[in-house]
Amino acid sequence: MLENYFSVLIFILIGVAMGVAPLVLGRLVAPHRPDKEKNSPYECGFDAFEDARLPFDVRFYLVALLFIIFDLETAFFFPWAVVLDKIGWFGFGAMMIFLGLLVIGFIYEWKKGALEWE
Amino acid sequence: MYNWLTDCVFYVAAALLVVSSLLVITSRNPVRSVLFLVLCFFCSSILWMLLEAEFLALVLIFVYVGAVMTLFLFVVMMLHIDLEKLKTNFVRYLPIGALIVLGMIGLMGYIIAPEHFSLLAPAHHGADYSNIKELGTALYTHYVYPFELAAVILIVAIISAISLAHRGPRGRKSQDVPSQLNIQRNDRVRLVDVPAEKKE
Repeated sequence: MLENYFSVLIFILIGVAMGVAPLVLGRLVAPHRPDKEKNSPYECGFDAFEDARLPFDVRFYLVALLFIIFDLETAFFFPWAVVLDKIGWFGFGAMMIFLGLLVIGFIYEWKKGALEWE
Repeated sequence: MYNWLTDCVFYVAAALLVVSSLLVITSRNPVRSVLFLVLCFFCSSILWMLLEAEFLALVLIFVYVGAVMTLFLFVVMMLHIDLEKLKTNFVRYLPIGALIVLGMIGLMGYIIAPEHFSLLAPAHHGADYSNIKELGTALYTHYVYPFELAAVILIVAIISAISLAHRGPRGRKSQDVPSQLNIQRNDRVRLVDVPAEKKE
């Protein structure tokens, strides 16, 4: 089975090489004379006012959480779709119950207004 | 050739996994820790792929790297992490932390029995073997009850996420049609009785 993924391995290796090679070449070939001013964060010529990592709104977190839940749902769909001819109506019904339960959750979040952005 | 290549990939991925998981706990920048955790997931996905669990390996990238790590990055950015404050009570909490770690290592050693540790890989399947098919036939027939329970757990997750993080509409400028239709004249227009003034 793994021989099917040999091309994926080659792809990963070439992709990593394409990403790493310019950095390594830049480090080796380009002149490298850092000083304090060059290494400091650049903010339109001023000194940096504050820490870049500001705490931000909890609503992003809510969107990410709801995304994960429906992402997991699609993960359950893949094997179901592949073996649908084998598992027959029983498997179809099982997935419909699963989907129905999640649609209840979806209606809940829609009605609650969690999908709206002000 | 086949065994040589898979062994090579295994050792590279396993070594990278150990190094990146060490970097997760030792790097000072929390965002960098999260990114090393992404590298950890990639390496463990490669290891799962070598065990021929192709669906689980891809789902690990699809769910954990794609979604859970985004969430982790959000959490790291949302919390205002003060590293100095985190380090102040290090010595005080060291004994109880060491105790918990020892307990966890002991439990792992007890559950993962020594017979599972061997250099022999499980038997390889042919090119037409499909792990997804095996998984699907087991999941939607034999394990259908746990599968439905997963849906219930996902609903609980939806409801708890909304009740924890949703704060309701604030100053949203959207139409509310029923209240527009049910409006009475008295709510909109106020008739004021102005006494007539006499002409001088």
